[in-house]
Amino acid sequence: MITLEHVSLRYTKGDPWALQDVDLDVTRGEFCFVVGQSGSGKSSLLRLVIVENAPTLGRVLVAGHDLGQLPRRRVHVLRCQIGTVFQDFRLLSGKTVSQNVAYVLQVLGAPGHEIRQRVPETLALVGLENKGKRLPHELSGGEQQRVAIARAMVNKPPILLADEPTGNLDPDTSAEIVAILERINRSGTTVLMATHDTTIVDQFRKRVVQLHEGRVVRDQAEGGYREVVRS
Amino acid sequence: MRPGFLLGEIGNGLRRNVSMVVSVVLVTMVSLFFLGIGLLAQQQVSTAKGYWYDRVQVSIFLCTPDSTDVASCAGGAVTQDQRDQIAADLEGLDPLVAEVYYESNADAYERFREQFRNSPVLDSIPQEAIPESFRVNLSDPSRYEVIRQAFEQAPGVESVEDQREVVDKLFTFLGVLSVGALALAVAMVACAVLLISTTIRLTAWSRRRETAIQRMVGASAFSIYLPFILETVLATLLGAGLAIALLWGTVRFGITGFLSELLAGESGLISLVGERDLWLITPFLVGGALLLAVLTAWTALRRHVRV
Repeated sequence: MITLEHVSLRYTKGDPWALQDVDLDVTRGEFCFVVGQSGSGKSSLLRLVIVENAPTLGRVLVAGHDLGQLPRRRVHVLRCQIGTVFQDFRLLSGKTVSQNVAYVLQVLGAPGHEIRQRVPETLALVGLENKGKRLPHELSGGEQQRVAIARAMVNKPPILLADEPTGNLDPDTSAEIVAILERINRSGTTVLMATHDTTIVDQFRKRVVQLHEGRVVRDQAEGGYREVVRS
Repeated sequence: MRPGFLLGEIGNGLRRNVSMVVSVVLVTMVSLFFLGIGLLAQQQVSTAKGYWYDRVQVSIFLCTPDSTDVASCAGGAVTQDQRDQIAADLEGLDPLVAEVYYESNADAYERFREQFRNSPVLDSIPQEAIPESFRVNLSDPSRYEVIRQAFEQAPGVESVEDQREVVDKLFTFLGVLSVGALALAVAMVACAVLLISTTIRLTAWSRRRETAIQRMVGASAFSIYLPFILETVLATLLGAGLAIALLWGTVRFGITGFLSELLAGESGLISLVGERDLWLITPFLVGGALLLAVLTAWTALRRHVRV
Protein backbone atom coordinates (compact mmCIF):
# COMPACT_ATOMS: atom_id res chain seq x y z
CA MET A 1 0.00 0.00 0.00
CA ILE A 2 2.90 2.34 0.82
CA THR A 3 6.33 1.56 -0.62
CA LEU A 4 9.54 3.56 -0.40
CA GLU A 5 12.48 2.35 -2.49
CA HIS A 6 15.95 3.76 -1.67
CA VAL A 7 14.36 7.09 -0.79
CA SER A 8 16.53 10.01 0.24
CA LEU A 9 15.26 13.52 0.94
CA ARG A 10 17.10 16.78 1.35
CA TYR A 11 15.09 20.01 1.61
CA THR A 12 17.86 22.28 0.36
CA LYS A 13 21.09 21.50 -1.40
CA GLY A 14 23.92 21.54 1.13
CA ASP A 15 21.60 20.79 4.11
CA PRO A 16 21.85 17.46 5.97
CA TRP A 17 19.69 14.61 4.61
CA ALA A 18 16.23 14.42 6.22
CA LEU A 19 15.93 10.82 4.96
CA GLN A 20 18.70 8.56 3.65
CA ASP A 21 18.25 5.44 1.55
CA VAL A 22 14.96 4.47 3.20
CA ASP A 23 13.35 1.19 2.13
CA LEU A 24 9.90 0.55 3.52
CA ASP A 25 6.90 -1.52 2.49
CA VAL A 26 3.64 -1.15 4.42
CA THR A 27 1.09 -3.63 3.16
CA ARG A 28 -2.69 -3.20 2.92
CA GLY A 29 -4.38 -3.35 6.32
CA GLU A 30 -1.17 -3.05 8.31
CA PHE A 31 -0.68 -0.84 11.42
CA CYS A 32 2.81 0.58 11.62
CA PHE A 33 4.43 2.93 14.15
CA VAL A 34 7.24 5.14 12.88
CA VAL A 35 9.33 6.07 15.89
CA GLY A 36 12.45 8.08 16.56
CA GLN A 37 13.68 11.22 18.24
CA SER A 38 12.64 14.69 17.12
CA GLY A 39 14.38 15.42 13.81
CA SER A 40 14.88 11.75 13.00
CA GLY A 41 12.74 12.07 9.82
CA LYS A 42 9.31 10.73 10.92
CA SER A 43 7.31 13.72 9.68
CA SER A 44 9.44 13.95 6.52
CA LEU A 45 8.50 10.36 5.71
CA LEU A 46 4.78 11.10 6.13
CA ARG A 47 5.08 14.28 4.05
CA LEU A 48 6.46 12.20 1.16
CA VAL A 49 3.40 9.95 1.29
CA ILE A 50 0.94 12.84 1.00
CA VAL A 51 3.06 14.50 -1.72
CA GLU A 52 3.91 17.53 0.37
CA ASN A 53 7.49 16.91 -0.73
CA ALA A 54 9.11 14.88 -3.49
CA PRO A 55 12.05 12.60 -2.74
CA THR A 56 15.47 13.84 -3.81
CA LEU A 57 16.37 10.26 -4.72
CA GLY A 58 14.43 6.99 -4.93
CA ARG A 59 10.81 6.08 -5.59
CA VAL A 60 7.60 6.35 -3.55
CA LEU A 61 4.48 4.31 -4.40
CA VAL A 62 1.18 4.92 -2.60
CA ALA A 63 -2.10 3.09 -3.29
CA GLY A 64 -0.81 1.98 -6.67
CA HIS A 65 0.42 5.45 -7.73
CA ASP A 66 4.09 6.00 -8.51
CA LEU A 67 4.35 9.50 -7.05
CA GLY A 68 7.29 10.41 -9.31
CA GLN A 69 5.04 9.84 -12.33
CA LEU A 70 1.92 11.44 -10.83
CA PRO A 71 1.13 14.78 -12.54
CA ARG A 72 0.65 17.72 -10.18
CA ARG A 73 -2.98 18.09 -11.28
CA ARG A 74 -3.72 14.47 -10.24
CA VAL A 75 -2.25 14.72 -6.73
CA HIS A 76 -5.70 15.51 -5.28
CA VAL A 77 -6.97 12.14 -6.51
CA LEU A 78 -4.31 10.43 -4.41
CA ARG A 79 -5.03 12.63 -1.39
CA CYS A 80 -8.68 11.52 -1.48
CA GLN A 81 -7.36 8.07 -0.56
CA ILE A 82 -5.41 9.26 2.46
CA GLY A 83 -6.85 10.48 5.74
CA THR A 84 -4.51 12.62 7.82
CA VAL A 85 -4.47 13.41 11.55
CA PHE A 86 -2.12 15.92 13.17
CA GLN A 87 -0.95 16.65 16.69
CA ASP A 88 -2.71 20.06 16.73
CA PHE A 89 -6.13 18.75 15.51
CA ARG A 90 -6.60 21.59 12.95
CA LEU A 91 -10.36 21.90 13.44
CA LEU A 92 -12.41 24.84 12.16
CA SER A 93 -13.26 26.76 15.31
CA GLY A 94 -16.44 28.38 13.96
CA LYS A 95 -18.02 25.07 12.94
CA THR A 96 -19.65 22.43 15.13
CA VAL A 97 -18.29 18.90 15.40
CA SER A 98 -20.76 17.66 12.75
CA GLN A 99 -19.99 20.59 10.46
CA ASN A 100 -16.24 19.95 10.77
CA VAL A 101 -16.73 16.37 9.70
CA ALA A 102 -19.28 17.20 7.00
CA TYR A 103 -16.94 19.86 5.58
CA VAL A 104 -14.77 17.18 3.95
CA LEU A 105 -17.71 15.63 2.13
CA GLN A 106 -19.03 19.03 1.10
CA VAL A 107 -15.66 20.02 -0.31
CA LEU A 108 -15.56 16.78 -2.27
CA GLY A 109 -19.07 17.37 -3.61
CA ALA A 110 -20.91 14.52 -1.86
CA PRO A 111 -24.71 14.70 -2.10
CA GLY A 112 -26.69 15.86 0.94
CA HIS A 113 -28.24 12.49 1.78
CA GLU A 114 -24.80 10.86 1.82
CA ILE A 115 -23.49 13.58 4.15
CA ARG A 116 -26.47 13.18 6.48
CA GLN A 117 -25.85 9.43 6.65
CA ARG A 118 -22.07 9.32 6.89
CA VAL A 119 -21.39 12.07 9.44
CA PRO A 120 -23.32 10.44 12.35
CA GLU A 121 -21.88 7.04 11.40
CA THR A 122 -18.33 8.34 11.58
CA LEU A 123 -18.94 10.26 14.79
CA ALA A 124 -20.25 7.00 16.30
CA LEU A 125 -17.04 5.27 15.16
CA VAL A 126 -15.00 7.64 17.33
CA GLY A 127 -17.52 7.72 20.21
CA LEU A 128 -18.82 11.25 19.66
CA GLU A 129 -22.34 10.45 18.52
CA ASN A 130 -23.84 12.78 21.15
CA LYS A 131 -21.51 15.72 20.63
CA GLY A 132 -22.24 16.67 17.04
CA LYS A 133 -23.58 20.10 17.94
CA ARG A 134 -20.67 21.13 20.15
CA LEU A 135 -18.05 23.63 19.02
CA PRO A 136 -14.40 22.51 19.17
CA HIS A 137 -13.55 24.79 22.13
CA GLU A 138 -16.27 23.07 24.17
CA LEU A 139 -14.45 19.72 23.85
CA SER A 140 -11.44 18.21 25.64
CA GLY A 141 -8.18 17.64 23.76
CA GLY A 142 -8.94 13.94 23.38
CA GLU A 143 -12.40 14.69 22.01
CA GLN A 144 -10.99 17.23 19.57
CA GLN A 145 -8.55 14.61 18.30
CA ARG A 146 -11.46 12.19 17.87
CA VAL A 147 -13.20 14.81 15.72
CA ALA A 148 -10.00 15.11 13.68
CA ILE A 149 -9.97 11.32 13.23
CA ALA A 150 -13.64 11.33 12.23
CA ARG A 151 -12.91 14.05 9.69
CA ALA A 152 -9.99 12.05 8.29
CA MET A 153 -12.12 8.88 8.02
CA VAL A 154 -15.48 10.21 6.87
CA ASN A 155 -14.46 9.80 3.24
CA LYS A 156 -13.47 6.16 3.98
CA PRO A 157 -9.87 6.42 2.73
CA PRO A 158 -7.86 3.16 2.58
CA ILE A 159 -4.88 4.83 4.27
CA LEU A 160 -4.73 6.81 7.52
CA LEU A 161 -1.62 8.81 8.40
CA ALA A 162 -1.25 10.11 11.94
CA ASP A 163 1.56 12.51 12.79
CA GLU A 164 2.10 12.52 16.57
CA PRO A 165 -1.67 12.32 17.22
CA THR A 166 -1.14 11.84 20.97
CA GLY A 167 1.52 14.52 21.36
CA ASN A 168 -0.85 16.93 23.16
CA LEU A 169 -2.74 14.34 25.19
CA ASP A 170 -2.40 12.68 28.60
CA PRO A 171 -1.47 8.93 28.70
CA ASP A 172 -5.01 7.61 29.23
CA THR A 173 -6.50 9.77 26.49
CA SER A 174 -3.59 8.82 24.21
CA ALA A 175 -4.39 5.15 24.72
CA GLU A 176 -8.06 5.83 23.87
CA ILE A 177 -7.03 7.60 20.66
CA VAL A 178 -4.73 4.80 19.55
CA ALA A 179 -7.46 2.29 20.44
CA ILE A 180 -9.71 4.12 17.99
CA LEU A 181 -6.98 3.98 15.36
CA GLU A 182 -6.59 0.26 16.01
CA ARG A 183 -10.34 -0.24 15.59
CA ILE A 184 -10.18 1.63 12.27
CA ASN A 185 -7.22 -0.53 11.26
CA ARG A 186 -9.17 -3.71 12.00
CA SER A 187 -11.77 -2.61 9.47
CA GLY A 188 -9.07 -2.78 6.76
CA THR A 189 -7.55 0.69 6.78
CA THR A 190 -3.76 0.87 6.59
CA VAL A 191 -2.48 3.04 9.47
CA LEU A 192 0.93 4.70 9.56
CA MET A 193 1.51 6.57 12.80
CA ALA A 194 4.55 8.70 13.65
CA THR A 195 5.10 8.92 17.41
CA HIS A 196 7.66 9.16 20.18
CA ASP A 197 5.17 8.03 22.80
CA THR A 198 6.96 5.14 24.53
CA THR A 199 3.96 3.91 26.48
CA ILE A 200 1.70 3.72 23.45
CA VAL A 201 4.22 1.80 21.33
CA ASP A 202 4.91 -0.63 24.15
CA GLN A 203 1.21 -1.09 24.92
CA PHE A 204 -0.07 -1.79 21.40
CA ARG A 205 2.80 -3.98 20.10
CA LYS A 206 2.50 -3.24 16.40
CA ARG A 207 5.11 -3.14 13.67
CA VAL A 208 7.75 -0.55 14.58
CA VAL A 209 9.98 1.25 12.08
CA GLN A 210 12.66 3.24 13.89
CA LEU A 211 14.39 6.17 12.24
CA HIS A 212 17.66 7.71 13.38
CA GLU A 213 19.15 10.67 11.51
CA GLY A 214 17.01 9.87 8.50
CA ARG A 215 17.92 6.19 8.26
CA VAL A 216 15.81 3.14 9.11
CA VAL A 217 17.72 1.52 11.96
CA ARG A 218 15.08 -1.00 12.95
CA ASP A 219 12.01 -2.57 11.33
CA GLN A 220 10.39 -4.95 13.80
CA ALA A 221 7.05 -6.73 13.89
CA GLU A 222 5.18 -6.39 17.20
CA GLY A 223 8.00 -4.23 18.53
CA GLY A 224 8.18 -1.96 21.53
CA TYR A 225 9.80 1.39 22.17
CA ARG A 226 12.42 0.10 24.66
CA GLU A 227 14.30 -1.76 21.96
CA VAL A 228 14.61 1.60 20.27
CA VAL A 229 16.37 3.07 23.26
CA ARG A 230 18.69 0.06 23.58
CA SER A 231 19.60 -0.12 19.86
CA MET B 1 -18.26 21.10 -4.78
CA ARG B 2 -22.04 21.52 -4.73
CA PRO B 3 -23.62 24.90 -5.62
CA GLY B 4 -25.21 25.40 -2.18
CA PHE B 5 -21.93 24.79 -0.38
CA LEU B 6 -20.07 26.96 -2.90
CA LEU B 7 -22.50 29.84 -2.33
CA GLY B 8 -22.05 29.45 1.42
CA GLU B 9 -18.27 29.63 1.05
CA ILE B 10 -18.58 32.74 -1.14
CA GLY B 11 -20.95 34.36 1.38
CA ASN B 12 -18.51 33.63 4.24
CA GLY B 13 -15.63 35.04 2.22
CA LEU B 14 -17.50 38.24 1.38
CA ARG B 15 -18.62 38.72 4.99
CA ARG B 16 -15.13 38.24 6.39
CA ASN B 17 -13.51 40.73 4.01
CA VAL B 18 -16.33 43.20 3.53
CA SER B 19 -14.09 46.28 3.62
CA MET B 20 -11.68 44.86 1.05
CA VAL B 21 -14.57 43.76 -1.18
CA VAL B 22 -16.04 47.28 -1.01
CA SER B 23 -12.60 48.66 -1.99
CA VAL B 24 -12.48 46.36 -5.03
CA VAL B 25 -16.01 47.43 -6.02
CA LEU B 26 -15.15 51.13 -5.75
CA VAL B 27 -11.78 50.93 -7.49
CA THR B 28 -13.31 48.87 -10.30
CA MET B 29 -16.12 51.40 -10.60
CA VAL B 30 -13.77 54.41 -10.80
CA SER B 31 -11.32 52.74 -13.21
CA LEU B 32 -14.10 51.59 -15.55
CA PHE B 33 -15.76 55.00 -15.35
CA PHE B 34 -12.60 56.73 -16.53
CA LEU B 35 -12.01 54.05 -19.15
CA GLY B 36 -15.57 54.60 -20.38
CA ILE B 37 -15.14 58.38 -20.43
CA GLY B 38 -11.88 57.98 -22.40
CA LEU B 39 -13.51 55.65 -24.92
CA LEU B 40 -16.58 57.89 -25.25
CA ALA B 41 -14.35 60.94 -25.76
CA GLN B 42 -12.54 59.11 -28.56
CA GLN B 43 -15.88 58.12 -29.99
CA GLN B 44 -16.93 61.78 -29.75
CA VAL B 45 -13.86 62.88 -31.73
CA SER B 46 -14.57 60.29 -34.38
CA THR B 47 -18.32 61.17 -34.54
CA ALA B 48 -17.66 64.91 -34.63
CA LYS B 49 -14.95 64.52 -37.30
CA GLY B 50 -17.29 62.63 -39.58
CA TYR B 51 -20.07 65.11 -38.92
CA TRP B 52 -18.02 68.28 -39.34
CA TYR B 53 -15.83 67.12 -42.21
CA ASP B 54 -19.01 66.54 -44.19
CA ARG B 55 -20.04 70.13 -43.52
CA VAL B 56 -16.88 72.20 -43.37
CA GLN B 57 -16.11 74.23 -46.40
CA VAL B 58 -13.15 75.75 -48.06
CA SER B 59 -13.72 79.51 -48.15
CA ILE B 60 -12.28 81.57 -50.99
CA PHE B 61 -12.38 85.13 -49.70
CA LEU B 62 -12.42 87.75 -52.43
CA CYS B 63 -10.63 91.11 -52.36
CA THR B 64 -12.21 94.08 -50.58
CA PRO B 65 -11.26 97.68 -51.30
CA ASP B 66 -9.02 97.55 -48.21
CA SER B 67 -7.06 94.39 -49.06
CA THR B 68 -4.51 95.99 -51.41
CA ASP B 69 -1.59 94.70 -49.30
CA VAL B 70 -2.19 91.26 -50.88
CA ALA B 71 -0.53 90.94 -54.33
CA SER B 72 -3.57 89.41 -56.00
CA CYS B 73 -5.72 92.29 -54.70
CA ALA B 74 -3.46 95.08 -56.03
CA GLY B 75 -6.31 96.40 -58.15
CA GLY B 76 -8.63 96.86 -55.18
CA ALA B 77 -11.96 95.12 -54.74
CA VAL B 78 -12.72 92.06 -56.86
CA THR B 79 -14.20 92.81 -60.26
CA GLN B 80 -17.13 91.09 -61.90
CA ASP B 81 -14.79 89.49 -64.47
CA GLN B 82 -12.53 88.13 -61.75
CA ARG B 83 -15.57 86.82 -59.88
CA ASP B 84 -16.88 85.08 -63.01
CA GLN B 85 -13.45 83.62 -63.74
CA ILE B 86 -13.17 82.17 -60.22
CA ALA B 87 -16.68 80.68 -60.52
CA ALA B 88 -15.78 79.17 -63.88
CA ASP B 89 -12.50 77.76 -62.55
CA LEU B 90 -14.39 76.17 -59.64
CA GLU B 91 -16.81 74.55 -62.05
CA GLY B 92 -13.83 73.19 -63.94
CA LEU B 93 -12.68 71.38 -60.80
CA ASP B 94 -15.72 69.10 -60.78
CA PRO B 95 -15.94 66.36 -59.36
CA LEU B 96 -13.56 67.48 -56.54
CA VAL B 97 -15.78 70.51 -56.05
CA ALA B 98 -19.08 69.04 -55.00
CA GLU B 99 -20.95 72.24 -54.31
CA VAL B 100 -20.30 75.97 -54.53
CA TYR B 101 -22.17 78.63 -52.63
CA TYR B 102 -21.54 82.30 -53.27
CA GLU B 103 -21.85 84.57 -50.26
CA SER B 104 -22.26 88.19 -51.27
CA ASN B 105 -20.85 91.09 -49.33
CA ALA B 106 -24.32 91.91 -48.01
CA ASP B 107 -24.95 88.32 -46.86
CA ALA B 108 -21.50 88.15 -45.24
CA TYR B 109 -22.08 91.45 -43.44
CA GLU B 110 -25.47 90.26 -42.22
CA ARG B 111 -23.92 87.05 -40.85
CA PHE B 112 -21.09 89.03 -39.25
CA ARG B 113 -23.58 91.33 -37.50
CA GLU B 114 -25.52 88.30 -36.21
CA GLN B 115 -22.37 86.54 -34.93
CA PHE B 116 -20.94 89.61 -33.23
CA ARG B 117 -24.20 91.23 -32.16
CA ASN B 118 -22.91 91.71 -28.61
CA SER B 119 -19.51 93.06 -29.59
CA PRO B 120 -18.77 96.75 -28.91
CA VAL B 121 -16.63 97.02 -32.12
CA LEU B 122 -19.52 95.97 -34.35
CA ASP B 123 -20.44 99.48 -35.38
CA SER B 124 -16.83 100.44 -36.19
CA ILE B 125 -16.54 97.79 -38.94
CA PRO B 126 -17.88 99.03 -42.28
CA GLN B 127 -19.75 96.65 -44.62
CA GLU B 128 -16.97 96.98 -47.28
CA ALA B 129 -14.45 95.46 -44.87
CA ILE B 130 -16.28 92.12 -44.79
CA PRO B 131 -15.18 90.07 -47.80
CA GLU B 132 -17.57 88.30 -50.14
CA SER B 133 -16.61 84.68 -50.69
CA PHE B 134 -17.16 81.38 -52.46
CA ARG B 135 -17.96 78.57 -49.99
CA VAL B 136 -16.82 75.32 -51.53
CA ASN B 137 -17.81 71.81 -50.41
CA LEU B 138 -15.26 69.22 -51.53
CA SER B 139 -16.13 65.65 -52.40
CA ASP B 140 -12.85 64.69 -50.68
CA PRO B 141 -12.08 67.26 -47.94
CA SER B 142 -8.51 65.97 -47.53
CA ARG B 143 -7.65 67.35 -51.01
CA TYR B 144 -7.95 70.92 -49.83
CA GLU B 145 -4.43 71.69 -51.14
CA VAL B 146 -5.64 71.45 -54.74
CA ILE B 147 -8.06 74.32 -54.16
CA ARG B 148 -5.50 76.34 -52.22
CA GLN B 149 -2.88 76.05 -54.98
CA ALA B 150 -5.42 76.84 -57.70
CA PHE B 151 -6.87 79.98 -56.10
CA GLU B 152 -4.44 81.43 -53.55
CA GLN B 153 -2.66 83.68 -56.04
CA ALA B 154 -5.59 84.08 -58.42
CA PRO B 155 -6.60 87.66 -59.28
CA GLY B 156 -9.41 88.88 -57.03
CA VAL B 157 -8.72 86.29 -54.30
CA GLU B 158 -7.53 87.62 -50.94
CA SER B 159 -7.14 84.32 -49.17
CA VAL B 160 -8.17 80.65 -49.16
CA GLU B 161 -9.07 79.09 -45.82
CA ASP B 162 -9.86 75.53 -44.89
CA GLN B 163 -12.34 75.40 -42.01
CA ARG B 164 -10.94 71.99 -41.14
CA GLU B 165 -7.94 73.72 -39.61
CA VAL B 166 -10.25 75.44 -37.14
CA VAL B 167 -12.22 72.32 -36.16
CA ASP B 168 -9.04 70.26 -36.03
CA LYS B 169 -7.92 72.38 -33.07
CA LEU B 170 -11.14 71.38 -31.29
CA PHE B 171 -10.54 67.73 -32.16
CA THR B 172 -6.97 67.94 -30.86
CA PHE B 173 -8.31 69.32 -27.60
CA LEU B 174 -10.88 66.50 -27.36
CA GLY B 175 -8.17 63.99 -28.26
CA VAL B 176 -5.94 65.23 -25.43
CA LEU B 177 -8.90 64.95 -23.05
CA SER B 178 -9.58 61.38 -24.13
CA VAL B 179 -5.91 60.38 -23.83
CA GLY B 180 -5.84 61.96 -20.37
CA ALA B 181 -8.94 60.02 -19.30
CA LEU B 182 -7.51 56.79 -20.72
CA ALA B 183 -4.16 57.37 -18.96
CA LEU B 184 -6.03 57.90 -15.70
CA ALA B 185 -8.03 54.75 -16.43
CA VAL B 186 -4.84 52.74 -16.97
CA ALA B 187 -3.50 53.97 -13.62
CA MET B 188 -6.80 53.07 -11.94
CA VAL B 189 -6.86 49.64 -13.60
CA ALA B 190 -3.34 49.06 -12.26
CA CYS B 191 -4.68 50.02 -8.80
CA ALA B 192 -7.56 47.58 -9.27
CA VAL B 193 -5.18 44.75 -10.21
CA LEU B 194 -2.96 45.41 -7.18
CA LEU B 195 -5.98 45.72 -4.89
CA ILE B 196 -7.52 42.46 -6.14
CA SER B 197 -4.17 40.75 -5.63
CA THR B 198 -3.89 42.10 -2.07
CA THR B 199 -7.51 41.19 -1.32
CA ILE B 200 -6.93 37.63 -2.49
CA ARG B 201 -3.83 37.44 -0.34
CA LEU B 202 -5.70 38.65 2.76
CA THR B 203 -8.69 36.42 2.05
CA ALA B 204 -6.41 33.44 1.54
CA TRP B 205 -4.71 34.21 4.86
CA SER B 206 -8.03 34.47 6.71
CA ARG B 207 -9.16 31.18 5.18
CA ARG B 208 -5.84 29.32 5.41
CA ARG B 209 -7.30 26.64 7.73
CA GLU B 210 -10.14 25.87 5.35
CA THR B 211 -7.90 25.75 2.30
CA ALA B 212 -5.36 23.57 4.14
CA ILE B 213 -8.15 21.11 5.01
CA GLN B 214 -9.54 21.18 1.47
CA ARG B 215 -6.10 20.45 0.12
CA MET B 216 -5.48 17.70 2.68
CA VAL B 217 -8.70 15.84 1.90
CA GLY B 218 -8.13 15.90 -1.85
CA ALA B 219 -9.98 18.91 -3.26
CA SER B 220 -8.67 19.86 -6.69
CA ALA B 221 -6.84 23.16 -7.23
CA PHE B 222 -9.78 24.42 -9.27
CA SER B 223 -12.34 23.76 -6.55
CA ILE B 224 -10.09 25.41 -3.94
CA TYR B 225 -9.65 28.47 -6.16
CA LEU B 226 -13.26 28.69 -7.32
CA PRO B 227 -14.81 30.53 -4.29
CA PHE B 228 -12.00 33.10 -4.34
CA ILE B 229 -12.41 33.68 -8.07
CA LEU B 230 -16.20 33.96 -7.86
CA GLU B 231 -15.94 36.44 -4.98
CA THR B 232 -13.60 38.58 -7.10
CA VAL B 233 -15.88 38.26 -10.12
CA LEU B 234 -18.90 39.31 -8.04
CA ALA B 235 -17.11 42.37 -6.65
CA THR B 236 -15.86 43.28 -10.14
CA LEU B 237 -19.31 42.85 -11.67
CA LEU B 238 -20.82 45.07 -9.00
CA GLY B 239 -18.12 47.70 -9.66
CA ALA B 240 -18.69 47.42 -13.42
CA GLY B 241 -22.45 47.76 -12.95
CA LEU B 242 -22.00 50.92 -10.90
CA ALA B 243 -19.53 52.31 -13.47
CA ILE B 244 -21.99 51.69 -16.31
CA ALA B 245 -24.77 53.33 -14.28
CA LEU B 246 -22.52 56.33 -13.64
CA LEU B 247 -21.58 56.53 -17.33
CA TRP B 248 -25.22 56.25 -18.32
CA GLY B 249 -26.08 59.10 -15.95
CA THR B 250 -23.27 61.21 -17.40
CA VAL B 251 -24.37 60.54 -20.99
CA ARG B 252 -28.12 60.77 -20.33
CA PHE B 253 -28.18 63.89 -18.19
CA GLY B 254 -24.78 65.47 -18.88
CA ILE B 255 -24.37 65.05 -22.63
CA THR B 256 -27.71 64.13 -24.23
CA GLY B 257 -29.59 66.30 -21.79
CA PHE B 258 -27.57 69.35 -20.79
CA LEU B 259 -24.63 69.71 -23.21
CA SER B 260 -26.53 68.77 -26.36
CA GLU B 261 -29.26 71.33 -25.71
CA LEU B 262 -26.71 73.96 -24.77
CA LEU B 263 -24.64 73.52 -27.94
CA ALA B 264 -27.64 73.04 -30.20
CA GLY B 265 -28.91 76.42 -29.03
CA GLU B 266 -25.61 78.05 -30.01
CA SER B 267 -24.81 76.62 -33.40
CA GLY B 268 -27.59 74.34 -34.48
CA LEU B 269 -24.96 71.98 -35.81
CA ILE B 270 -23.79 69.44 -33.27
CA SER B 271 -23.47 65.69 -33.02
CA LEU B 272 -22.62 64.25 -29.61
CA VAL B 273 -22.12 60.72 -28.32
CA GLY B 274 -25.27 59.18 -26.90
CA GLU B 275 -26.57 56.18 -25.00
CA ARG B 276 -26.15 53.99 -28.09
CA ASP B 277 -22.39 54.65 -28.00
CA LEU B 278 -22.34 53.69 -24.31
CA TRP B 279 -24.17 50.40 -24.98
CA LEU B 280 -21.66 49.68 -27.75
CA ILE B 281 -18.67 49.90 -25.38
CA THR B 282 -20.44 48.29 -22.40
CA PRO B 283 -19.70 44.63 -23.37
CA PHE B 284 -16.03 45.49 -23.81
CA LEU B 285 -15.86 47.31 -20.47
CA VAL B 286 -17.59 44.50 -18.56
CA GLY B 287 -15.86 41.69 -20.47
CA GLY B 288 -12.45 43.30 -20.08
CA ALA B 289 -13.00 43.89 -16.37
CA LEU B 290 -14.08 40.28 -15.83
CA LEU B 291 -11.14 38.90 -17.80
CA LEU B 292 -8.72 41.06 -15.86
CA ALA B 293 -10.34 40.07 -12.53
CA VAL B 294 -10.16 36.34 -13.30
CA LEU B 295 -6.56 36.52 -14.54
CA THR B 296 -5.45 38.63 -11.57
CA ALA B 297 -7.25 36.38 -9.10
CA TRP B 298 -5.85 33.21 -10.68
CA THR B 299 -2.29 34.60 -10.66
CA ALA B 300 -2.62 35.79 -7.04
CA LEU B 301 -4.09 32.43 -5.98
CA ARG B 302 -1.26 30.51 -7.59
CA ARG B 303 1.11 32.69 -5.66
CA HIS B 304 -0.59 32.84 -2.27
CA VAL B 305 -2.67 29.65 -1.95
CA ARG B 306 -0.86 26.35 -1.80
CA VAL B 307 -2.74 23.49 -3.45
